[in-house]
Amino acid sequence: MARRWWTLPLLLVSALAPSFSLAGLAFENTAIVRTIELGGSLVHVSTTYAVKALEPRQTTYQIALSKAERAKTSWLEAKVKGQTTPLELSEDESSTEHLLSVSLPKALAVNGTLNLVLETVQTHATHPFPEQAAQKEPQLLKYETDLFTISPYVTLVQRTKIKSMAPNVISYTTPHDVDSFVRDGSVTRSGGTITYGPYNDIQTDTYFVAKHQQSISVHYSFDYPVLEVETLRRTAEISHWGSNLNIEDKIHLHNAGPTLKGHFSRLEYQGQIYHRRQAPHILSDFTLHLPPGVTNAYFYDQNGNVSTSHLRTVPSVAKGSKATQYSVLELRPRYPVLGGWNYSYTIGFDTPLQDSVGYDVKNGIYVVGVPVMTNIPGTVVDNAEVKIILPEGATNIEFISPFPELSNGMSTHISYLDTAGRPAVTFTYKDLTYKHTGIIYVSYQVPVSAHLKKVMSVGAALFSLFAFAFMARRVDLNLHKK
Amino acid sequence: MPAAYPLPSDLSPATVTNTASLLRIIALALISGAAIASRLFAVINFESIIHEFDPWFNYRATKVLASQGFYEFWNWFDPTAWYPLGRVVGGTIYPGLMATSGVIYNLLHALNLPVDIRNICVLLAPGFSALTAWATYMFTKELKDESAGLLAAAFIGIVPGYISRSVAGSYDNEAIAIFLLMFTFFAWIKALKQGSAFWGTIAAVFYFYMVAAWGGYAFITNMIPLHALVLLLMGRFTGRLYVAYSSWYAIGTLSSMQVPFVGFQPVRTSEHMAALGVFGLLQIVAFAQLVRAHVSSKQFQELLFAAVISVGLIGFFGIVGLTYKGWIAPWTGRFYSLWDTGYAKKYIPIIASVSEHQPTAWPSFFMDLHFLIFLFPAGVVMCFRTLRDEHVFVIIYAVVASYFAGVMVRLMLTLTPVVCVSAAVALSSLMDAYLDPSEPNVEDDKNGSSTPHSTGTTPSTALATSKKTKKNKEKEASAPAGGVLGELVSNVTSSAVAAKSATTAERGVFGMDTRLIVLLNSLGLLLFFVVHCTWVTSNAYSSPSVVLSSTSPDGSKNIIDDFREAYHWLRQNTAEDAVVMSWWDYGYQIAGMADRPTLVDNNTWNNTHIATVGKAMSSPEDIAYPILRKHDVSYVLIIFGGLIGYSGDDINKFLWMVRIAQGVWPDEIQEPNYFNRGEYRVDSEAAPAMRDSLMYKMSYYRFAELFGGQQPVDRVRGQHVPIQGPTLDYLEEAYTSENWIVRIYEVKKDDVLGRDLKIANAFDQGKKRKRTKPMSRRKSISA
Repeated sequence: MARRWWTLPLLLVSALAPSFSLAGLAFENTAIVRTIELGGSLVHVSTTYAVKALEPRQTTYQIALSKAERAKTSWLEAKVKGQTTPLELSEDESSTEHLLSVSLPKALAVNGTLNLVLETVQTHATHPFPEQAAQKEPQLLKYETDLFTISPYVTLVQRTKIKSMAPNVISYTTPHDVDSFVRDGSVTRSGGTITYGPYNDIQTDTYFVAKHQQSISVHYSFDYPVLEVETLRRTAEISHWGSNLNIEDKIHLHNAGPTLKGHFSRLEYQGQIYHRRQAPHILSDFTLHLPPGVTNAYFYDQNGNVSTSHLRTVPSVAKGSKATQYSVLELRPRYPVLGGWNYSYTIGFDTPLQDSVGYDVKNGIYVVGVPVMTNIPGTVVDNAEVKIILPEGATNIEFISPFPELSNGMSTHISYLDTAGRPAVTFTYKDLTYKHTGIIYVSYQVPVSAHLKKVMSVGAALFSLFAFAFMARRVDLNLHKK
Repeated sequence: MPAAYPLPSDLSPATVTNTASLLRIIALALISGAAIASRLFAVINFESIIHEFDPWFNYRATKVLASQGFYEFWNWFDPTAWYPLGRVVGGTIYPGLMATSGVIYNLLHALNLPVDIRNICVLLAPGFSALTAWATYMFTKELKDESAGLLAAAFIGIVPGYISRSVAGSYDNEAIAIFLLMFTFFAWIKALKQGSAFWGTIAAVFYFYMVAAWGGYAFITNMIPLHALVLLLMGRFTGRLYVAYSSWYAIGTLSSMQVPFVGFQPVRTSEHMAALGVFGLLQIVAFAQLVRAHVSSKQFQELLFAAVISVGLIGFFGIVGLTYKGWIAPWTGRFYSLWDTGYAKKYIPIIASVSEHQPTAWPSFFMDLHFLIFLFPAGVVMCFRTLRDEHVFVIIYAVVASYFAGVMVRLMLTLTPVVCVSAAVALSSLMDAYLDPSEPNVEDDKNGSSTPHSTGTTPSTALATSKKTKKNKEKEASAPAGGVLGELVSNVTSSAVAAKSATTAERGVFGMDTRLIVLLNSLGLLLFFVVHCTWVTSNAYSSPSVVLSSTSPDGSKNIIDDFREAYHWLRQNTAEDAVVMSWWDYGYQIAGMADRPTLVDNNTWNNTHIATVGKAMSSPEDIAYPILRKHDVSYVLIIFGGLIGYSGDDINKFLWMVRIAQGVWPDEIQEPNYFNRGEYRVDSEAAPAMRDSLMYKMSYYRFAELFGGQQPVDRVRGQHVPIQGPTLDYLEEAYTSENWIVRIYEVKKDDVLGRDLKIANAFDQGKKRKRTKPMSRRKSISA
């Protein structure tokens, strides 16, 4: 009994001890290369870990991200370099750093090596600096990150490349107190690429991190508008009678670039267009890729139809085969969206139902696939709500989201001539990027009686109306006959 | 009986009646379809959008009604209108239109038909035009017969004079008012004919609906009493008239007083006194009739003189006295302007400044009514030939409405129904005469000329044909409601008996050639009418005016959407409580599309407030700036058409702003100052007051730079504006729409250093130009 009491704290300690020190023995990073591609709303980070196992039969490799970085990261994926199938990830938030456990495809023997690639997309990672810019001024952004890529394992050499699309980088931080790891120079720049490192022998203990970890920032110019979709509300309505899938997006778009200093001058804007030197932070139009076979596309806002859009459709392709072409929708907002300005609008379109719904004859189950969102290039969707409205009377509803949703729920949606209402599934998401254009699958059954319900009810209503008129014509309410 | 053309003889009368009834239903359905379809040009050419100015307010109010319910709507105080005064909306509008849409909206939603409120509003006017066609059919049927009714329905369905105010999207009170007008008149005629309190009540209910829907209800309020009075003077007082009028007036007036905006007006304003007076007169006359039935003729004569006249005089002087004492409000200015067309221009420029209050130009009669305007007098003359009570009504209506239509463009709308009705009566009579297959026998012809025609009681062949030879119209009076159709039936049955071999005139008045000439001619006229209506509707009356369209040289259509662009910008990118100042024309649009507070809007109830805006627009910047600041104005919105030649812009309306401002501040604003030797110019010869005015500066601010050193041209006025454009010190440009139609300026806040903004601005620029222009600085100092 006493022994047991004594061992319990030990077990607890061993379980809760910083995983760094425990894991530190299993692997060694021979090299880490982190490549950061700077953007506006989105920053793409790709980190390559050259891993060497120090202990036999290792199946789990751990990747650390700082809490701040994890908060910014909206999408991540780990792969073996050169392969396309992503590896299984599990997250652990208990320790000071955020740990991702990667299940390796096969166990590594001692001194076995593997190149792992972690790809992440960060959102809201940049901010305009200065925060205001006049219409003619360039758009300057600032990106901040940690100097060292932290890892639970000792790293022999690591470097960080920060790439800016435009070559003019205004400034970047030169790290301090790094002489002990550096052989050539702490930072070098060539064109739009800034390379930090290589740095040697990066330790894992907290003391080292506290002492040497530092924030670096890059101040760069960005040539495209920094766009944020503050809210996206997508409604997908399935109609079996109309053989139609209608998708409607209500979008609140915000230009998150530097807010406009002074005022908008149409004269200057027209001059900029005339000289083809449009200011980078002005969104005048953008292009969406809609699925093939789109019909009846519409684009309107609170004040009605926006007449400045073009749609080029391509015919729909057979289900299952990969579409080679997209329908292209060119949208031009009512006014150029300058820094800090908003534009909310609604777009919608119809697609043939057979393009997105499959029917399992044996079980009588329909499966519908609805894309989570239509990507606006270079945009982050802060809050998204996707509502899939199934036909009236649908039962046995099951659904699966391509990536974890914040919440989901069922509701009833009442539309044209419904009697009982249509079941609807709602998903909410946060910080969606171009990596999140997956498809939500919903399966359901619709009995034949449900299909006929609307016809019967409308028929009955009309019949009773006529019957009433028929009777009323023949009832004489006159008190005295003429 | 000889017939001009063979008719099938083996049809039973029931078959003919049923077929005719079916054909009527189909015809009415098609007319309704045509009426609705011809109003959809605006939706097809543009989109489902609310048009023009006032409809935007109605739409906004309807949205409040639909989303928040009737009681909220009733108590709605709108703090964003007439900033900072606000507007009690529930008590200052005719809620009939919004209530109608609200009922339709709730009904559809109760049936799980989630139709957007905007689409209900857009399509309300076309929908009600179908009902108008039906009401006109019923009205004309009472006047003549079903065939005339169908013609009248077809006319009113597509006549441009009515379409001009009821295209899809023209969501205004007139959209439902014309239906209510026609139906009230129909119910009145019906009540009068039958002496029915039931129909009188229906007339009163629809009158109430009309009062709730349109300020033009005063037309009914005076038409029906006038009709009753004329009947009285014609010695046509009957119990039927008494019952019909009393039931209409009592119920109609009481119910109309339930509309808050009308309130006690029916007993307190001069416009309504005629109805009250006639009501009293009818009581007196009815009482006199009662007394007459009980006393001898001589006593009655004395009584009549003593009592009736004195009571009438007391009543009249009572009304005059009450008016004098102020218990009854005298006629309003709008009413005076109906009698004296120059009145408004002199005393109430704000009424005169509205284009639809101008006197009608002659061509617009033809444009709005086409060949109906020629048939109209003929129809009125035909009413004289029958002259039953309802014909008297049409004659009065025709006279009164013709006058009003000549005075004010917008009152063309009230003339249109009566034109359609009388034209239909005329055309239908013509058709009747030339379609009637019966021909006179030669001996019948002799008989007909020798024997005087007596009102037919039995449909004998001889009488029927002699009617034809004599007056066509008299038959109409005596014929039952069946009209031409009943006649056809009788002809069908009689022609079976009559020998087919009778002489068929090949030529002459009864010959087929004459018939064909006349009929084809009328048919051609009808055809041209349809073509004309379609053309006018699609070209003149189907522009939303919120969205403009232009045709490029290659024929492709180009949409100019500047208004919505700028309003949407305001809505999304300015503070929600930012007050926008603009001329009152755009008040409703700003409230509806931009959702921002406005100083003045199209509900022009406060002349001083409008004059304040006019003064700000027509004063120099430093005078206007305190006005703007005092009214918390954040943005000033103006319409400028100089770049693309949009002629309805603010510079063209500017003189009205000056005039209205002058009406309140005659010392500060004088219209002649804005003219240069009697000419209204915007170029380098413009008058100094003009050049300094805020409106001019805002319109042409940086306009010249667009021409890159070339001579800038104002495409509306066709004048060269100075290359050196105006500068602004107290305002700065905030937004200009794509074609420069809408320009929005932000009013600068006070300078942080407490300087005058003009000095601050000069300092800022002087600092920059220190080296380049030292001379000018020295000059300005010495000056």
